[in-house]
Amino acid sequence: MNRKLFLCTLALTVLLPLTLLLGSRLPGRWYYLTATALLLEGMVPFFLSFESRRPQARDICTIAVLSALAVAARTVVVIPGYRPTMAVVMIAGIALGPESGFITGAVAALASNFFYSQGPWTPWQMMSYGLGGFLAGVLVPRLFPGKRSWELALFGFVCILTVVGPVLDASTLFTVSSRLSLSYAAAVFAAGLPFNLRHGFAVGLTLWLAGRPLLSRLERIRRKYGILSRDNN
Amino acid sequence: MALVHTQNLSFAYPGKEKKTLDNVSLTIEKGEYVVLCGRSGSGKTTLLRHLKSVLTPNGRRSGGVCFDGRPLSDLNAGEQARRIGFVMQSTEDQLVTDEVWHELAFGLESLGMDENTMRLRVAEMASFFGMEGWFHRNVGELSGGQKQLLNLASILAMEPELLILDEPASQLDPIAAGNFLDTVRRVHQELGTTVIITEHRLEDIFPAADRVIVMEDGHIAAQGSPTAVSEALWRGRMPMFSALPTPIRAFWQAEGGGKPPLTVREGHRWLREAFPDRPEVAALPENVSRFSETDAAVCVRDIWFRYGRNAPDVLKGVTLTIPRGCLYAMVGGNGTGKSTLLKTLCGVCTPYRGRVQLFGRSLRHIPKGELYRGCVSMLPQDPRELFAHQTLREELEEMGADAERIRDIAALCRVEALLDAHPYDLSGGEQQRGALAKVLLTGPKLLLLDEPTKGMDSTFKAEFAALLRELTRRGTTVVLVSHDIEFCAEYADLVGMLFDGGLLTQDIPRRFFSRNSFYTTAAGRMSRGVFQNAVTAADVALLYMENKGGQE
Amino acid sequence: MERDVFSRCHPLTGFVYFFCAICFCAVVRHPMYLAAGFLAGLFYFLLLHGEAGMKKLPGMVPFLLVVAALNPVLNPRGETVLFTLFGRPYTLEALVYGVVLAGMLGTMLVWFGCFSTVLTGEKIVYLFAPIAPALSLVLVMTMRLIPSFQRKLARLAGARRCIGFGLEEQTRWRGKLRCGAALLASLTDWALEGSIITADAMRARGYGTGKRTHYRAYRLSARDGMLLGLTLGLSTAAVTFGGMQAEFLPSVSMERPGWGLAVYCLLLALPVLAWGKEELQWRWCIRRI
Repeated sequence: MNRKLFLCTLALTVLLPLTLLLGSRLPGRWYYLTATALLLEGMVPFFLSFESRRPQARDICTIAVLSALAVAARTVVVIPGYRPTMAVVMIAGIALGPESGFITGAVAALASNFFYSQGPWTPWQMMSYGLGGFLAGVLVPRLFPGKRSWELALFGFVCILTVVGPVLDASTLFTVSSRLSLSYAAAVFAAGLPFNLRHGFAVGLTLWLAGRPLLSRLERIRRKYGILSRDNN
Repeated sequence: MALVHTQNLSFAYPGKEKKTLDNVSLTIEKGEYVVLCGRSGSGKTTLLRHLKSVLTPNGRRSGGVCFDGRPLSDLNAGEQARRIGFVMQSTEDQLVTDEVWHELAFGLESLGMDENTMRLRVAEMASFFGMEGWFHRNVGELSGGQKQLLNLASILAMEPELLILDEPASQLDPIAAGNFLDTVRRVHQELGTTVIITEHRLEDIFPAADRVIVMEDGHIAAQGSPTAVSEALWRGRMPMFSALPTPIRAFWQAEGGGKPPLTVREGHRWLREAFPDRPEVAALPENVSRFSETDAAVCVRDIWFRYGRNAPDVLKGVTLTIPRGCLYAMVGGNGTGKSTLLKTLCGVCTPYRGRVQLFGRSLRHIPKGELYRGCVSMLPQDPRELFAHQTLREELEEMGADAERIRDIAALCRVEALLDAHPYDLSGGEQQRGALAKVLLTGPKLLLLDEPTKGMDSTFKAEFAALLRELTRRGTTVVLVSHDIEFCAEYADLVGMLFDGGLLTQDIPRRFFSRNSFYTTAAGRMSRGVFQNAVTAADVALLYMENKGGQE
Repeated sequence: MERDVFSRCHPLTGFVYFFCAICFCAVVRHPMYLAAGFLAGLFYFLLLHGEAGMKKLPGMVPFLLVVAALNPVLNPRGETVLFTLFGRPYTLEALVYGVVLAGMLGTMLVWFGCFSTVLTGEKIVYLFAPIAPALSLVLVMTMRLIPSFQRKLARLAGARRCIGFGLEEQTRWRGKLRCGAALLASLTDWALEGSIITADAMRARGYGTGKRTHYRAYRLSARDGMLLGLTLGLSTAAVTFGGMQAEFLPSVSMERPGWGLAVYCLLLALPVLAWGKEELQWRWCIRRI
């Protein structure tokens, strides 16, 4: 961790409570704006650490290609509700590391919204996709060093169900609820469950079928980069 | 004064015994226009990449490269980026950003240039290339030719002293390629930039070169003026001779005396002067088509097609018969419906009027499972579109054929030695053969090829044509669409021309190309008014020798 | 979009404006303010999208109705009980609040729709490039690659179809998924191979040699200054004048809107007004010609 990042973390420890304090004093439905602001601030360290490591051309290209693949993957198989985007993001996290996984997910979410439409959900989608990639990068190498197909599929399914889906549902909660209550949260999460199950199923299936092939392709390209280019920076 | 100098440069890729570059010593003067030619795999690209450190591959190396009197490694990355421009083959992948202005500015931004200079440079480039009209366009909307011009412009915006172009026009159609290479020449003449260029199609660049360098197996086989090099290639019976422009080949094959003609114009003058009067034998015998019209592989009657309900018609009443077992070439300009016609033949596009029959059966009545197994198959323009596995062997096994058949087809396509390689590690020609093997494993009676010779060098073309010949001998009907009229003239049995969505004419190549005066081969154009039906360099040489032999 | 003023402005102007507008729309519950915001947004949305926009809107109505009807179920407070559902009161106040919530959501969606059209991806990237150069480069490249990949996917599917692996011929899900996985693998190979060339092209053009500068395709003009000033001024005025408080539970009560409402309307109608002003100017110019 470098100095800039340290300072940023320090600033955030002040900024986050401050946002919460000021935000809660907003009249009426304070929580959507406040939560979104907190979320955006929470993404800053990831972005900053990516910027401060001064990524090389090949890192930028690989991440961009994977983000675009994640978005384009939606058009591969036209089965209604089949969204394999997160599968590619998780592969990116596993192959390139948690930080790049986060960036891949966040950029994929943002870029795809430029093609469809931006909405109140954009920051939440960025965060949830980013977290999915990040967690894949952190957990999979530790939990499943073998990276067998079914292990990847299981991880994908569980991760969607427990992290990615609920974060997306939280965005719905903050946008539609009249007040923050347990019954509201229960209703929103319950309504989201079928969607999350379907989403998790699609991602798990994609990881099961295409996970290992994609990982080996990324591994090959990494070797090839090594052969083709000398690092002079 | 020398701009680039390599001293006994040798190089081998990791894990390879054979040297890709073998003792290359080369000097390039300031302001020169140098054409570097050689077959695929002769080390051209590797040599060019040694002239710019960031692109230099890893491996064992000896010898050195100097730029402007200093060792290349003494120039820092920024200085090299600014002074040495490098344009690669791929039109699409070289683009970084999504808008034209941003692409032009990208290099300048990377170099940390200040804003005013940057605006000026970008504006200059946009005006020089006539890009004002598409300055704010998205790069995805540009044609291949425009993309490659943009790649060139965004390199030139950095005002390099040395411009290296590695097969820049091989992915473009002939008109766009000609336009691009003309622009490169304009850059050389108007800006005085030193240019090193490699290209398979030498027609456009060979005559104008200050110097030609021929590489073979990693060493320099010949260099000098275009005339001298062409003579050396002919006298040395070197394989690169087959890649030279038609007039030069015709001249040497005809054993003409004096200075060889470099362009069609000079070739025409050479023949005019050789035969001031009408030559005795002006025509070659025309062998009549050996195919019977009754046994048709493809029978198309008045088909109409459009891509959308409100889209314009692409095919407007095409009627066409292709005899069984022939090598049929479909030529025509861009957007005349050539590729669409191929797609209708394999059932991907369904015409809204008219009928398509394959081997006497209506295409609509052939079940899909049967259609692509043993009836028709298509090799796409980019052979890589068929690859989905990690080795060529897996690719072939995906087709579900038994081991023996895979061995047979691999032997036919000469890919046995490549079976364990990753498809993307093969050269362009090898990828083409690998993809062809995959397609042939479906056992097609009708094989469709979309622009098969794009980016192929002349040797590969000859090999590929031999392979197609073998297939037609075995009874397969081959239909190809191509911009490469030289290839069609030399190897096809029948040539058809599409224009404005309809079949204009169809004939054997000799008659087809001798009737046209503009849309014809270089040999046809240079022998116009002297010989009647010479369409290849060999034809011209043959007629020349026959007449000269008769005169003496 | 050529006739919209904010589309032709510096991205910063548009960004600040939409930031203010959407923040207000996300917080303000007062029905009159809400109606003003919704109508202004709707008018702007239709101006921007024309007939196509008309077709996009009805899609969100069922969702909004569900949000409105569901609120009383989940939030049982309120004085006027309409009926009881599952032993819980379904109150009028909560229903009114539900309608207001749905209205807020609809307003936000409409304004986000305008935002997406006016501030395209490249403008956002342009805005953030000086702050986060690497990240914005990733975003630019991703946005270029997505359509290119989609085109390539269509080509790949066509090519595989001609050797008998067509997606269309697969009737079972299993077959479709296997075909899809092969397509994805094929696309990945092609895309990653291309990324090597792109990385080479970037380094060949000096990427990573030093600090990047940024080509300024947009300049802040006097008009930008005026619009920015108006946006910020009107926003501050709307906050200071106040009068936008409303409570619904347990009983409905709201402040009397005063000057605040007028200022608020002016703020949210700014794009439409600017549009109208230009139209008039054109008419005037044409008459003089």
